[in-house]
Amino acid sequence: MTLLDHLFIVVFSCLIAISVVRNLPIVDKLAPVLYGLILIMLVRMASVAYGGDAYLSSFSLDLLGFKMHWQFTALSWYFAIITLVAALASAVFMSGDWGRQYREGGGNYGMLQLALIVNVFSMILLLGSGDLLSLFIGWEFVSWASFLMMVLSPSKLAKKSAVKYIVYAMTGAMALMVAIVMIYAVNDSLEFEQISIVFAQMSGSSQVALVLLLFVAFAIKMGLLPFHLWQAVAYAETPGPGAAFLGAISSRMGMFTIVLVIVQFIGLGGLKSVGTSFANMQTLLAWVAALTTIIPTYIALQQHDAKRLLAWHGVGQGGYMLLGIIMFDSIGSAGGLMHVLNHASYQAALFMTVVAVMYRTGTSDLNKLGGLVTQMPLTFLVMLIGIIGLAGLPPMNGFVSKWLVYRSLLVNGQPLLFVAAVLGTLGTILSVYKLIHNTFLGQLRLEHQNVREVPWSMLVPMLGLSVIVFITGFMPGLILPWIASVQESVGLPVIAHHLGGIEYAKGGLDMIWVSGILFYGFGVGALIFYFLGGKSKRVHQYDNYAGGHFLTSDVRYHYSNNFYPGLMHLIGTWYRGSFQWLENSIVSVMSFFSVFFENIYRAKQPVMLLLIGVVLALLALYRNLGVGA
Amino acid sequence: MKKELKIKQKERTNPLAHVFDDFIRFCQSKSLFMLHYCTGCGAIELPPAMTSRFDMERLGIQPMVTPRQADILLITGYVSIKTLKRVILTYEQMQSPKYVIGICSCTVNGGMYWQSYATAKKLNEYMPVDVYIAGCMPRPEAVMAGLQRLKDNIRNDKKEHKGSAWKDYFKRYDYYLGNQQALFGEDWQTPTDIIAEAKLYGLETEETYGKHTKLLEKHQTPLLPQEMRIK
Repeated sequence: MTLLDHLFIVVFSCLIAISVVRNLPIVDKLAPVLYGLILIMLVRMASVAYGGDAYLSSFSLDLLGFKMHWQFTALSWYFAIITLVAALASAVFMSGDWGRQYREGGGNYGMLQLALIVNVFSMILLLGSGDLLSLFIGWEFVSWASFLMMVLSPSKLAKKSAVKYIVYAMTGAMALMVAIVMIYAVNDSLEFEQISIVFAQMSGSSQVALVLLLFVAFAIKMGLLPFHLWQAVAYAETPGPGAAFLGAISSRMGMFTIVLVIVQFIGLGGLKSVGTSFANMQTLLAWVAALTTIIPTYIALQQHDAKRLLAWHGVGQGGYMLLGIIMFDSIGSAGGLMHVLNHASYQAALFMTVVAVMYRTGTSDLNKLGGLVTQMPLTFLVMLIGIIGLAGLPPMNGFVSKWLVYRSLLVNGQPLLFVAAVLGTLGTILSVYKLIHNTFLGQLRLEHQNVREVPWSMLVPMLGLSVIVFITGFMPGLILPWIASVQESVGLPVIAHHLGGIEYAKGGLDMIWVSGILFYGFGVGALIFYFLGGKSKRVHQYDNYAGGHFLTSDVRYHYSNNFYPGLMHLIGTWYRGSFQWLENSIVSVMSFFSVFFENIYRAKQPVMLLLIGVVLALLALYRNLGVGA
Repeated sequence: MKKELKIKQKERTNPLAHVFDDFIRFCQSKSLFMLHYCTGCGAIELPPAMTSRFDMERLGIQPMVTPRQADILLITGYVSIKTLKRVILTYEQMQSPKYVIGICSCTVNGGMYWQSYATAKKLNEYMPVDVYIAGCMPRPEAVMAGLQRLKDNIRNDKKEHKGSAWKDYFKRYDYYLGNQQALFGEDWQTPTDIIAEAKLYGLETEETYGKHTKLLEKHQTPLLPQEMRIK
């Protein structure tokens, strides 16, 4: 029994435990403890993230002559620790008053807890996969686990978007299956190492097909262009902390498999060998990543629902991860990998703040909020830290990973990709400003005068995540050893790092200095403001200038609707939604067939069934008679 | 000489205090942000005064969008009673030291609207005015000269005492409030608590209070800032 076996056993027992007690009140206390337990198991395996050997599982499964096995490398561990921290934070968040409100509102709380542990279990299973078959099984588990969480919301839109998601996910799974069959057909083996061996033996067109099939499968999960449409609505409609968990890590399983399969076994040489020297597979993937940073981000800018806005950013930030890793150098891949953790930390925190605002006000519509900073100052603080991270500004962790990606693009002579990445960041900054302004700044609505800060059960995970956002930004050296081990385990060049950042011949980064100078600037400002001036006065929000107008509670001057009209005037016509009608028609066809088959197996149309039965019987009879004659 | 109330003011023991004061006045006169409250036709003279031909920025004067950051309130033309309420609100929202410039004859004495029932005739009955620029309308040269006069007044305030008219609003608040109440009625109130500010600046005198402030106290509902609260 290795540590990995213990981990699997613990996760599986947790799954059983939560599924048994999920409708009892004790699940509130039990679930965070269980996630903490799994986290401890992972911490015990931490040596793998500091250059230790990968853990192999002693379990194996013989299936049709293949030996399926499982392993935990630095890459698996890195994604697993992010998953568990996100799950722990979500579990704590939903354990107290939020869960009570959810239950009272008619939500199936037990099912939500179950969905969370099923997600964690399936992700651990996927992350621990040791060959292509176990990878495929884990992949399917993850897809269906996400689906389970998405359909929990009672809204019709949630159901519809979940169906949409599962259509996408099944398409991706089929693509993965075909790719696995292609690999299997050559050497009758499903080991990971076969990918690179088979790839080298393949003809040019098969190589293109294999890379595209694999990439489509993983891109669908990650929501990369042109498969970006399913994710945002599906995640935004997921109930509260579930959305935080899914938004933080679920779609990053696509990133895990991209690193595991494409980066590790096909590699830069493999990607470059497909196509011409001007436009090869690397160029294609890099531009898919670049467009993924831009297009979903500007769709996010257009949203007026806070959860949708964040969910669209989740899609957009995936582009940075791919853009970094596809550069295949030490700093770029470190940036891409690090962005997974950074994005998970601030995205979960941001989703939680939005859920906290919804908990108190009942809405996440950015046009119906405003001025909540006096009522919910700590939630405001968390959102502020989160959006600084999301926008990629120092001293938060988003800056470090984005800086690494930018630096890598410049060093690798990719100015156009760099401009694309910066354009994406511009859209991010604009829309996160819209998010915090419309929610927390400006005029407080009359109906929100009595809104209070959320209870500690919700504040603690939010504050904890924002501490992670800051600490890993201030001292990225805490994370960088894990990144270096991941790079080593998948055969990428290893980044040279120290506590404050990276060492790099063409200009390194020391976040302790950067943050220090930033705080020094703030310190000088504070000194002037509090000690040399000191005559500040707080005023009421109605004692404000609106062209000399006397402001009263019946006049709204909080400017939230039609935000950025000038920019929207410029780019508004680009939002056409040409992907959308195609996708809608596919969903319609799928639902038509599902209704048809449902009617058959639930025997809703007995006459129809009888007719089909009779026809089949007659056919069989006729055939038999024919054969007999 | 009016008898001043006993106000605790810090004794200035620093031997360089006057030098500092002089330096601050110098700086203030060189950097003025202007909120132009364009009430009438005089506003048409401002674009040439601001832009390249006359270029008031070379005097260190720039437009500003909010009263909180502005130093000068520029009233350009006739002030109807309805507008005057807004002007007073805006003036009270400005932070001291603040200066008022009345452009056009209308602000001096009502000008061609002298007979109108709906205009306030003399602006300085409702707020202390630093400089009047008469004319119908004054040319940009006159506007520039008026601004230059204001700068000189600020710079030479120590000798001539012309650059601190804003203190008068706090010192004689009852007078201004009385005129305002006569126009707007007894229930007139703005969000800003002038008496509290007079105390803050150490400028309250006997004339700060009177029967008009008593009237105000009767119906004034204070607009307190919202508390930051965690629980």
